[in-house]
Amino acid sequence: MAKRNVDIVVIGGGSAGLAAAIKAKEKGIENIMILERSEELGGILPQCIHTGFGLSYFKENLTGPEYISRFIKKAQDLKIEYKLDTMVLEITPEKEITAVNSVDGLLTLQAKAIVLAMGCRERTRGMLGIAGTRPAGILTAGTAQRLMDIEGYMPGAKVVILGSGDIGLIMARRFAMEGAKVEAVVEILPYSSGLDRNVVQCLEDFNIPLLLQHTVTSIHGSDRIEAVTVAKVDASGKPVQDTERIIKCDTLILSVGLIPENELSRTADIALDSATGGPVVNEYMETSVEGIFACGNVVHVYDLVDHVTQAGELAGENAARYVLNQLPPLTKKITLKAGDNVRSVVPQIIGGKEPVTLYLRVKKPMKDVKVTIGNLTIPKRVVKPPEMVVVNLTRQALEKLEKRDESKVSIEEKAER
Amino acid sequence: MKKREVRVTTCIICPIGCKAKVTIKNGKISKIEEVECPRGEEYVAREIEAPVRDFFATVRIKGASTPVLPVRSTQPIPKDKIMDCALELANVVVDAPVEEGDVIVKNLLSLGVDIIATRDMDRAKER
Repeated sequence: MAKRNVDIVVIGGGSAGLAAAIKAKEKGIENIMILERSEELGGILPQCIHTGFGLSYFKENLTGPEYISRFIKKAQDLKIEYKLDTMVLEITPEKEITAVNSVDGLLTLQAKAIVLAMGCRERTRGMLGIAGTRPAGILTAGTAQRLMDIEGYMPGAKVVILGSGDIGLIMARRFAMEGAKVEAVVEILPYSSGLDRNVVQCLEDFNIPLLLQHTVTSIHGSDRIEAVTVAKVDASGKPVQDTERIIKCDTLILSVGLIPENELSRTADIALDSATGGPVVNEYMETSVEGIFACGNVVHVYDLVDHVTQAGELAGENAARYVLNQLPPLTKKITLKAGDNVRSVVPQIIGGKEPVTLYLRVKKPMKDVKVTIGNLTIPKRVVKPPEMVVVNLTRQALEKLEKRDESKVSIEEKAER
Repeated sequence: MKKREVRVTTCIICPIGCKAKVTIKNGKISKIEEVECPRGEEYVAREIEAPVRDFFATVRIKGASTPVLPVRSTQPIPKDKIMDCALELANVVVDAPVEEGDVIVKNLLSLGVDIIATRDMDRAKER
């Protein structure tokens, strides 16, 4: 089997992969190949038919299909090569890629650089351990979205949604608009896991109850789901006895979190961060394996596609520089560790010289805080778990940063003045 | 008799998410409290007086490789018209091919907005 040489192979043709490929091409790399598992480019965006995309990147309010079509068309204009319906099976630390599709059969590519852009997957019922029977009618929110908005099926008429993440809220609205009755959105935490805007426009607009500090404790029905048991939970998230009640439904939608999809990263022995579930990356978006870069939801789950695009561009640009031998190795490596009220931080490794944007996920909502990075402090008005905290470190700020091997990133109450 | 009512509206302009306290007298806003900025006040006032929403849905499409086409309104529509618009679009069927931006329904329900396609959809290849 002939091995084909490619400068940069991008794995995944969604918003991150497209941005990376386009940027690499613009930086002068001719020989690029995007490998996409699905039957079209675009990743998850074609099924996100609601608005709210592009507000920061394009300063326009676009739907998912409109946002991604700009990148698909650009990639096609730039004549970037891609293969659809193509499943990557393995990548090696030497950057050899094995993939398969029905046209080429088994396919081997030797890349100078790889950009990982495989995105993430939804958590499923099996990962939650909800008691009860195993009937039909239990779907993840993204599956329901695909069924409704790509394939044109109505998954159910009487719906309970578990988890108040953004996709769950958006699907609550879609079900209501298509004439289903959404009985409740059930959230185990004391606050919504989705953005305020979605709580207002997806739930309040349609009078859909949001049951905070509640969870589904049991599923009923034999062939098709017939009802769920819902109970209050205590501060530790455990169901409280005698608070159970039954809600009848024919559909249970799960919106209970996303997990970066890194089976392939493991085949290349790439170091993963247990807090994000994605590869450890440095400020170039380069993983622990030299010349393999990563971007988008495969690194950590974003809430705005605009940020995914920017991460893709950064990875694509640096992959191009790597191929052109123009990427200076980081002389100093500062590892950033999550401290108080910080669940994760990306990138995990910075050089401490060039400007860099940090993305933090916080554990709990807080107001009037300071973000501390080693000896630096940056004030923030408000931090919330559903919204990634973005911290821009300028060259000036970095000059003041003590260059230790490890720096803690924390979020604390601002001291009283 | 004067009617006085206090409503709480969540501002969605920025991540702070102020919970605005709006006092309404005789159907008119008399006071907006607990909002931190002028943009927020503007939003909250509109949200009470004449709330509007982006509108998006799917319509049936024939001859494409998938059976539904995503669409949106060219401008936001009054919030209380969302379900009417959704019902109206339930009866719309278009034929592929369609290009992004094509007008699918002109002046939907006389609201002064058009419904446009949000993606290209080619004719499916004959098998």
